Amino acid sequence: MRILLIEDDARVSAFVAKALREEGHLVEPIADGRAGLVRATSDRFDLIILDRMLPGLDGLKLLQALRATGDATPVLILSALGDTDERVRGLRAGGDDYLPKPFALSELVARVEVLGRRQPAAETSARIEIGDFALDAIARTVTRAGRRIDVTDREFRILTYLASHAGRVVTRSMLLEHVWDYHFDPQTNVIDQHLSRLRQKLEPAGAEPLIETVRGAGYRMRDR
Amino acid sequence: MRLLGSFSFRLALLYAALFTLSVAILLGLYYWVSIRHPTNEVQAGLEGEAARLERLYRVGGEGALAAALERRAAAMAPRVAYHALIANDGRVIAANLPSWPAPSGARWLRIEADVYRDGDEDDHEALVLDRPLPGGARLLVGRDIEDLDEIEEAVRGAAVWLLPALLVLVFVGAALMSRAIGRRLDTLGNAARRVMDGDLTGRVPVRGPRDDFDRLGATLNAMLDRIEASMESVRRVSDSVAHELRTPLSRLQADLAELRSASPHRAAELRERALAESDRLARMFDAVLRIARIEAQRHAVELAPVDLGALLVDAADYHAPLAEDRGIALETKVTDDLTVSGDRDLLFQAVSNLIDNAIKFTPEGGAVSLDARREADAVVVTLTDTGPGIPPDLLGRLGERFFRAPEAAGIAGFGLGLALVRAVARLHASPLDFTNGKPGLVVRWRLGWTKPTAGRAGQAPTG
Repeated sequence: MRILLIEDDARVSAFVAKALREEGHLVEPIADGRAGLVRATSDRFDLIILDRMLPGLDGLKLLQALRATGDATPVLILSALGDTDERVRGLRAGGDDYLPKPFALSELVARVEVLGRRQPAAETSARIEIGDFALDAIARTVTRAGRRIDVTDREFRILTYLASHAGRVVTRSMLLEHVWDYHFDPQTNVIDQHLSRLRQKLEPAGAEPLIETVRGAGYRMRDR
Repeated sequence: MRLLGSFSFRLALLYAALFTLSVAILLGLYYWVSIRHPTNEVQAGLEGEAARLERLYRVGGEGALAAALERRAAAMAPRVAYHALIANDGRVIAANLPSWPAPSGARWLRIEADVYRDGDEDDHEALVLDRPLPGGARLLVGRDIEDLDEIEEAVRGAAVWLLPALLVLVFVGAALMSRAIGRRLDTLGNAARRVMDGDLTGRVPVRGPRDDFDRLGATLNAMLDRIEASMESVRRVSDSVAHELRTPLSRLQADLAELRSASPHRAAELRERALAESDRLARMFDAVLRIARIEAQRHAVELAPVDLGALLVDAADYHAPLAEDRGIALETKVTDDLTVSGDRDLLFQAVSNLIDNAIKFTPEGGAVSLDARREADAVVVTLTDTGPGIPPDLLGRLGERFFRAPEAAGIAGFGLGLALVRAVARLHASPLDFTNGKPGLVVRWRLGWTKPTAGRAGQAPTG
C-alpha cells in the first residue's frame, strides 16, 4: 500500500514509518500540515495517517479540506486527545478511524491493514466461506464441516467481524468498537474470554484452528 | 469625568431628577385641583351671569338691571356676589364694591372687596368680569374668591422654603442611595479582587436571601465554590498522579538502567517488563486524565436518550465470561421503560466498571445482581454483590482517586475505576451511594432525565 504519513513528531514518524515498511508498505512521511494537504491532493494514496495536532494546519482542518475536494482516501487519525468526544469530532470531520496516543504498533498496523484494504461496498457479503467454516448473514447460521453451531448474537457479531477481515489481525479494541458498539476502556480485558468460549464451540478437540491468537496484537481468522 | 463613570452616581442623579419631577407634578396637580379649576368654574359662572344681565339690560334698561343686581347681591350663595353698574356719564347706578379701577380693556379684574361687618373688617378678594354694555354703560359682576386666594397665597409662601427643602432632600437622598449601592458593589468587587489575588476562599458576604444583591452574591459564591472545587480536584489529581506515577516510573528506570549491562536472555525479559510498565503507566495516565476532564466538565458531553435497560444487559453480557470463570452468578433484572438522558459511552464505561469491581471482590460461588427499575422520574440502578463489603469508616472514601480498600491488596487495578464512576455520576447530576449490604457492597445509582449542562453543545432530550 502507498501510505502518506502526516506527523510532526520526528521520532513517532520514524517509528511508524519503519514498522509499516517492514510490513511491506510504501510510506511517505511529511511533517507539516500544509505540505501534507498539498501532497495528499496531488497524488493518490491507499491510506493517509494523520496526526491531529500539526504545525501549519490543524489535522481536522486538513481532513475537512481534503474531503471537500471529494477525496475519499481512507484516513486514520492519530491523536494525543483520547477522549470519546475528540474521537467523535475526528470521525465527523471525515476520518475513518481514530487511534489515541500512545498506541501499540501492533494496533496501528492492524488498523492500517483493515482500513487500507477495505472493500468499497458490501463489506460483509451475505455468505462467507472459509475452508469448512461457513457463515450466513441472512439465515444467521454458522456451520463447521456442515454441522450447525449454536452461537449467541454477540458471538455471531464477533464471527462476522473476524470473517469479513479474514487473514488480517483484528485487535481487541477493534472488536470492542465494532462488536460491542460502545467506546470504553475495559478494566479487565474480558474479550479474550469471549473469544476462548467461541473457539471452544468452533474448534472441537482435533479440529483445525479457525481463529488464531496473534501474540501482543489480537486475533486473526484464517482466510483459507 | 470620573464621577459620571460611576453607576451609583448616575443612579443618584437619576433619583434627583425623578424626585424633583415627581414633586413638580404633585404641586402642579394640587394647584390645578384646588385653585385653577375652581377659578375657571367661577369665571364660567360669571360669564353666564353677565350675559343674562346684559339681555335684561337690553329689554328693561338701567332700572331693571339695577334691581336684578340688588336681588343677586341679597341672594344666599356659597360665594358672595359683587357688582357695580356705571352709566355712560360716570354715574354709579348700583354698586356693592367699594372701589374699582378705570376701564383698562382687561376683562378680568381682581378687586379688594373688604366688608365691614359688626365692626370687623373681613378681607375679601373678588374676581370681577368687566363688561361694557351697549350705550356706553359699564357692568362689573364678581364673586368672592377669598378662599382660593388664601390657598394660592399659602402655596406661594410655601414655595419659598419648599424649594430649598426639596434641594436638600434630593441631595441627601441621592447621596444615601449612591453610598448604599456603592458599598454593596464594593463588597462584590473586593471579593472578586481577593480571588484574583489568589485567595480562592474569598467570598461575598451575604446576609441571607434578602435582596437582589444578596442573591447575586450567593450566585457568585456558588460560582466561586465550583471553581474552588475544580481547582482543588485538579490539585489533588496532580498530587496523586505525581505520587502514584513515581513508583512505576522508578521501576521503569531501574529496568532500563539494568538493560545496559544485561545478558541477552535477561535483556529480553527486561524489555518486556519495561514495555508492560510503560503501557500500564499510559493507561493509568489516560484514566486519570479522563476522570479529571469529566470532573471539570471539560468533556463536552452530549446528553441523549439512552436505553439504560439495554445498556445494562450489554454490560452484563460483556462481563458474563469473567463471572462464569469465577463461578459467580451474574443476574440482571431490567424492565423496558428505562430511558434516561445521558452519554451512552460514559454510562457504559461506568456500569462496566461497577460490574467489574463487583466481580473482582466477590468470592467464588457468590452472586452479583444488577437491578434497574423506574421510580417516578428516575431510574434506580442497584448493584449488589456477596463480597466482603467495606469497613463503614472507609465507605466515604470509595470513589476517591487511587483509593484502594485493604481487601483489594491482591487484586489488579489502580484505584481509579470507582473514581470514574463517581465522575460520570456527577456529570449526570445523579446521586450515587455505596452502602454495606448483608453481606457485600450495595451500589445505588439514581439516574433521571437531566437537562443538558448549560452552555454545552448538545440537544435537549426528546422522546
